[in-house]
Amino acid sequence: MSETQFVVIFYLFLWSASRIRGCFRRWRQPLLRGPEWFFSVRVQPDFYSGPGRKILHHYRIRMLMTVAVEIPIATAIFITGHLMYLAGLVVGMGVLVHINHAFNVDRAERQARKFAVPEAEQPVALVNLSLKTRRLSDYSNRQVERVIVFSTILVVAWLIRYYMAAPEHHDLRLVFGFPAFLLYAQAGLLLIKYMVVAWRSPVPQVQAEEHMEAREEARKLYLKCCDVCRVLYAGILVLWPIMLKSSPANRDRFSKMYLIALLVIGVALAIWQEIKRRQVLAVALRARPVKLPDLMAQSGAVRWPLCYQPSAPMLVLKGARGYSVNLANTLAQLTVAYLVGFGLLMVVLRT
Amino acid sequence: MLLTIDTRDPRPIYQQVADGIKELIAQGELKAGTPLPPVRQLAADLGVNLNTIATAYRELQKDGLLSVKHGSGSVVASRTAAERSEGELLRPLRTALTQLVLAGLPSNEILDIVARELRTVTKGNE
Repeated sequence: MSETQFVVIFYLFLWSASRIRGCFRRWRQPLLRGPEWFFSVRVQPDFYSGPGRKILHHYRIRMLMTVAVEIPIATAIFITGHLMYLAGLVVGMGVLVHINHAFNVDRAERQARKFAVPEAEQPVALVNLSLKTRRLSDYSNRQVERVIVFSTILVVAWLIRYYMAAPEHHDLRLVFGFPAFLLYAQAGLLLIKYMVVAWRSPVPQVQAEEHMEAREEARKLYLKCCDVCRVLYAGILVLWPIMLKSSPANRDRFSKMYLIALLVIGVALAIWQEIKRRQVLAVALRARPVKLPDLMAQSGAVRWPLCYQPSAPMLVLKGARGYSVNLANTLAQLTVAYLVGFGLLMVVLRT
Repeated sequence: MLLTIDTRDPRPIYQQVADGIKELIAQGELKAGTPLPPVRQLAADLGVNLNTIATAYRELQKDGLLSVKHGSGSVVASRTAAERSEGELLRPLRTALTQLVLAGLPSNEILDIVARELRTVTKGNE
């Protein structure tokens, strides 16, 4: 079996494990709390036989639009034979699916609010806020961090030594290009972790413990997913010197074994993630959704998907027409810098 | 260690935050040396303007309940640092008692209320 065949199998596996599973999950998501709910909006009894049917239908169509975007691109990649672009497609679509879902849910909920039970739409008056200081280190496993840092230092030191031993015989980009990409991806995952730790909001006084537990469990799952990816990247980085040192024949055999291992790990991780997600969902369903008060009149302050509000310390503001990323927030600025850096890295690695 | 904000309360949010932290300190839930979240974090969590929390922290600092250490954030100050003159401490009590008397409550009932509230405020210290 050739490398390209492996790439195709890997892509098809990702498609079934991620996209199809995700579509099933998002398809059922509006009704998870029962027929009297549409996501977190408590709707009137005749909602699904009346206007709710159309809102639900439109939500599902918008959800499937990402599939309609992906299939022609993937087909074009298969026809033209540029199969290595599939990796970029997987990453790009992963981001697009999540952004689309966030905006889609927000839009559907706004439409459903017109048919909500009036008393359930009143924002709660009493909100609780934890005064516990939260840091990235509180959510980091020191052993895992040590292993990642130690293995990375070892590999980088080995690569420098390997290159410096005979610089004229080694291609600088070949030796350091892929590790640089992996390290940059690690930095991106740390940035995501930082955002997840910072993600917090007040909870209603009623069922405060249930709401806090639901948020905390979701946070822990996201952080674990990030850490699993980081460990995986560190593992791939450790294998890189072995790939460089091996003879072309061995390298071919080695890369096949490596792809099979990746496929097996991918299946195991998909199962693990699904089990964990169900556990988090069970906790989340115990907390009854309520509308929290808008203490800063955000809905009047922002109109576009991007805004600049230095007095608002939040990363994402909820405006009248949907979410808006606040570019005055440090995390937003770091994300922009990261994306620019990623573009530059790609240019450097390609030229 | 939960801070409660009531949107129906006529007090501004910064006052509610400051009063809420004061209550937690009085109840012994926030002990001397306990770090408080940075202004930016608390404002983001609550979804309010930065100045709202900064004003609350300034008030706590003015009352000697909070000490700001550069580089390590704000921590609850020790009680000795929060010492104030008797006159300064009695002023709000006198205002509150005046309100109760003007509301027409008899003295023994006012004493009951004061005793009950004192028990609530100091429950964590007993």
